[in-house]
Amino acid sequence: MNYKFPQIQEVASRLTDPEIIKHQGKTILRSPELGKLFAHLKEMDSKDRAEFGQEINQLKTELLNMIDNQEDELTVLDPIDVTAPVDINVSSEKHPKLLSSSNGSRHPLMTEMDNILDIFYRMGFSSLESRQIDDDFHMFESLNFPKGHPARDDYDTFMTTEGLIAPAHTSTMQNRVLIEGKKLLDSNLPIATVLPGRVFRNEDVDARHGHTFYQIEGIYVDKGINTGNLISTFKTFLEEYYKQDMEIILQPFYFPFTEPSFEFVLSCPFCQKQGCNVCSYSGWIELGGCGMIHPKVLKMAGIESDIYTGFAWGFGVDRLVMMKHGIEDIRHFMAGKLEFLRQFS
Amino acid sequence: MKVSLNWIKDFTDVDMQPTELMERISSQLGAIESIEYLGDKYKGSLIVKVVECIKHDRADKLSVCKIDDGGNLKDVARDENGFIQVVCGAPNVKADMLAVWIPPKAIVPASYDKEQFVLESRELRGKISHGMLASPKELAFSDSHEGLLEVDFKVEPGTTFIQAYKLDDYIIELENKMFTHRPDCFGILGIAREISGIENRVFKSPEWYKEILDIPLPKENKYTIAVDNKIQELVPRFISVIIGDVQIKRSPTLIQSFLSRVGIRPINNIVDATNYMMALTGQPLHAYDYDKVKSLSNNESSPVLEVRLANEDEKLTLLNEKEIKLNKSDIVIATDKQVIGLAGVMGGLNTEVDETTKNIILECATFDMYTIRKTAMEHGIFSDAVTRFTKGQSPRQNMAITIRAIKLIKDISHSHQYSQIVDNSKIVKENSVISITPEFVNKRLGTNLSIKDMARILSNVEIIVNELDRELRVSEPFWRTDIEIKEDLVEEIGRLNGYYKLPQELPLRKINPTQKNLNFGLNASIRESLSGAGANEILSSTFIHVHLFEKVNQNTQFAIEIANALSPDLQYYRLSLTPSLLDIVNLNIRANQGIIEDNEFAIYEIGKSHNLVDLDDDRLPVEHRSIAFIFAADNKTAKRKYQGAPYYFAKNYLSYLIDRNHLEVKIVPLRDVLNNINNHTRIHQLISAYDPDRSAAVLSLVDNEFMGVVGEFKNSVKKAFKLPNYCSGFEVDMRLFKEDVATSNYIPLPKFPKINQDICLKVDNSIKYITLFDAIKLQIEENKPKDTYFSLNLVDIFQKDEDLDHKQITLRLIINSYNKTLTTDRINELLSVVTESVQNSLGVERI
Repeated sequence: MNYKFPQIQEVASRLTDPEIIKHQGKTILRSPELGKLFAHLKEMDSKDRAEFGQEINQLKTELLNMIDNQEDELTVLDPIDVTAPVDINVSSEKHPKLLSSSNGSRHPLMTEMDNILDIFYRMGFSSLESRQIDDDFHMFESLNFPKGHPARDDYDTFMTTEGLIAPAHTSTMQNRVLIEGKKLLDSNLPIATVLPGRVFRNEDVDARHGHTFYQIEGIYVDKGINTGNLISTFKTFLEEYYKQDMEIILQPFYFPFTEPSFEFVLSCPFCQKQGCNVCSYSGWIELGGCGMIHPKVLKMAGIESDIYTGFAWGFGVDRLVMMKHGIEDIRHFMAGKLEFLRQFS
Repeated sequence: MKVSLNWIKDFTDVDMQPTELMERISSQLGAIESIEYLGDKYKGSLIVKVVECIKHDRADKLSVCKIDDGGNLKDVARDENGFIQVVCGAPNVKADMLAVWIPPKAIVPASYDKEQFVLESRELRGKISHGMLASPKELAFSDSHEGLLEVDFKVEPGTTFIQAYKLDDYIIELENKMFTHRPDCFGILGIAREISGIENRVFKSPEWYKEILDIPLPKENKYTIAVDNKIQELVPRFISVIIGDVQIKRSPTLIQSFLSRVGIRPINNIVDATNYMMALTGQPLHAYDYDKVKSLSNNESSPVLEVRLANEDEKLTLLNEKEIKLNKSDIVIATDKQVIGLAGVMGGLNTEVDETTKNIILECATFDMYTIRKTAMEHGIFSDAVTRFTKGQSPRQNMAITIRAIKLIKDISHSHQYSQIVDNSKIVKENSVISITPEFVNKRLGTNLSIKDMARILSNVEIIVNELDRELRVSEPFWRTDIEIKEDLVEEIGRLNGYYKLPQELPLRKINPTQKNLNFGLNASIRESLSGAGANEILSSTFIHVHLFEKVNQNTQFAIEIANALSPDLQYYRLSLTPSLLDIVNLNIRANQGIIEDNEFAIYEIGKSHNLVDLDDDRLPVEHRSIAFIFAADNKTAKRKYQGAPYYFAKNYLSYLIDRNHLEVKIVPLRDVLNNINNHTRIHQLISAYDPDRSAAVLSLVDNEFMGVVGEFKNSVKKAFKLPNYCSGFEVDMRLFKEDVATSNYIPLPKFPKINQDICLKVDNSIKYITLFDAIKLQIEENKPKDTYFSLNLVDIFQKDEDLDHKQITLRLIINSYNKTLTTDRINELLSVVTESVQNSLGVERI
């Protein structure tokens, strides 16, 4: 580094010698040379004083950086034999051990996802993980969202600079699953798949809204599948999940990729519709969206929509877990605090 | 969107009680966000006649009034004529007017939802005032507070305010999303039609909406208007007409009241009239001050309205007084020299209708929804008009609405039609006609509805149905734009019939077993292993701040960047998982510092990372699945419990996973493989945090493929994340973990006692432990007695202070035979042979 003032330049060229720094360490910052510079500063014309002061500080920063870097080098540890199970000269009671299992925990979202998947396996669904980055075709076009369609506004999507999308729903996998599933239909088997995964919404974060959450999508396609099947399938799942009888309401809704479309509302499993803080004292909980797969979506995957019909749904897992444990803030899930995590087994 | 139930009742009877109605709306029309009953708010307020009004002798601005409430209210002091005294400060109070009185003990409606203000009788400068006469603002009617609400229609004094203004009303807020494809439901008329359908009643649209008998002619052709629509493909219909001699004032109070209820602020009679028609039909209208338009034209005598796309560098100040720079994709309305409106979004301030306006141009147009959406997004303007125009209104209703609007404006502003109605129209899309069979519908709903049932359900909401022999020919009514395919009719029939009536049957299928997802199964078993070994599973964000890359020396140039992230914390897809884990080490160490004795933890995450380089066959980024693990102990804990390099802690966990999952890998010094992986972006980024001299690469045993890294972190990384000294980790590719294919390492149990023997070997420091271990193991394997099996384990590694060039490795052999009891001599003999054989190759010396 070059300094404008010769006095500083001179001190700098002397002090920034690696050998000197190695020798003196941090004491170099109290060296008489630097002290003289400060003394000089006080006697200077006010015109140059500010700049001179700045340069002294720059020099100090430069020295500090050098000290830091050298400390890094000095503390570089010797290579070790990475193929050994333990280090040299370590008594056996101080060998690395696994921690006590009582410390361990699985993430509650993952535990719940496994529970949910287990029910769907038993109901005859296969599963496939949803992607975390996808293209416009899978996220929108194959789902009957034309370019520029206002329905796209309902999804605050993260876009990459390359024009890819962080999926805002697990439906981004539908086209792939339908194409893959044609073989099943040809052998008189239904397409029955659930698609769990992370989804992303580019919106302000608060206790109830995260930018990332987990969703699970379900698809069922076969000959003669109807709306009654949809309600029954989802009701059966929920009754198995909550181990109790449930009431279910379909509220008409709009999604471009299903027709008809619904929002799924279930009677609150925590208060039997009496009203509690989980359901905001309404007795009902909105869980997710569903509907009969739009014929254009089937056709886009090469499935004859006159012969085959099907339904699809998607719901959030975070919400279920929050309700189940009474978790007050969705941000806990990704904050990585052991205090939170260790409360779950 | 808010609707008023009483306004709806102008168009259809409603039989159901509110509770039932709301339930049915939710299940047959769309979700209700909120319901508000207005009646409670206005309880007590009465329409009164001011019979006497004299100036207060001790206050300039106050008047002392006698009011006639028809003698309706009890418990209030009256004069000898039965009138009640109220002191009033409003400038417009006068004798003989009809006003609204809030009597003592009643709540001021505007305060109802906040801190409720209850009136009483009290003295104002020596005169008792019983309650108050109210302004529109106090009545939560509009924000006008300049004077009293003057009741502008005939009503008996003493009538309740609720009755006079139909305030026994429910305001229902419906979720807009449901109506993304139903522009007609953005109007009272559309909702009334649906409610009628839900109640299984035939709806009849008002005559003015359905039948256009005559296009009204101007009273006189005083003005002409010409329209030059340069973009008919984006503006399929543009109707305009000049209405003159308007008197600008407040609208009739009933109109104001209904507009306020549905969330529209009353402004003046002209603007209110356009908004009223919009609230009714979902079709936005706009009024321009005609004289201002003229003055902004080159040809002042006959201005031309241009409908076109904006030019570059054009600007417009909108009605909200904000100036915007127009984009070339914006549709604008302009004169031949000046833009006067951002079409479908907001009018221009330069042609605003205000108190000086004499003549107006009324516009009723249809704009391309995609273009309006783009304009609204780019300028960030989301007006009521935008909400509606982005749903794709039918242009076919525009003439009926224009004619009705002209009539309304004439009625409330004492004006006249002064030009022809100019209808610039080129409607391309025909109303669709669809044939559908009952079987098609029943198959998709699971119902058993007859052709007659279906015809009735559809005709209730004025969908035109021709019942043929075995099918229905269905025509889309002119206000609908969403009925395109048969499934749209399935929705209509299913919904209006009620989904709650559908028979609920599970789908039937063959009992073939479904394929379980291998990855999920592996994830679950790894979670079980690690959590059982005291580790804590974390989840962290897919997106990270650029700082995380910098802290571990990763190269952002390989990272996928989010273009529109709201926060810099979410700007990039992560290149590996390790930085996310390192990021939470310090906070967790600090959280328990000095609080718990063993301040240590092991955290792990199974997740995905992405980069710009690795693309799959669809040109999409490959989703690399990996597991990352970190162990950390604060210095005090580490000093007390552990000794040696922290590397071995992470390695111990990795070995645990390797053993449990029978992974076929080898561990080699990271530095040894650096040269081979230099060109490999992902691996390079993955190892960037690890100290190459104190870390190992995990290679696949089969093909030496790099599968991960285990080790300690570089000093710069430790510093950047403020890591404790005793900290290490690993990140390995999840492809390492494979389905456990019935290979078992089971060893049958021998009947004879086992025998163990330690062997201590002095070797040169440069010999890797694994080299020695493998060599010994191989020799034992080759020289051991028949029908035996053995295990070989490390006891310890020592180094003498006086001989730093060598180390002493002690191994323990445990050996067992299936057919006899082994003797110590036999084992010693074996070990001698073994030692001898490695002595030459590795320079080992047995101690």
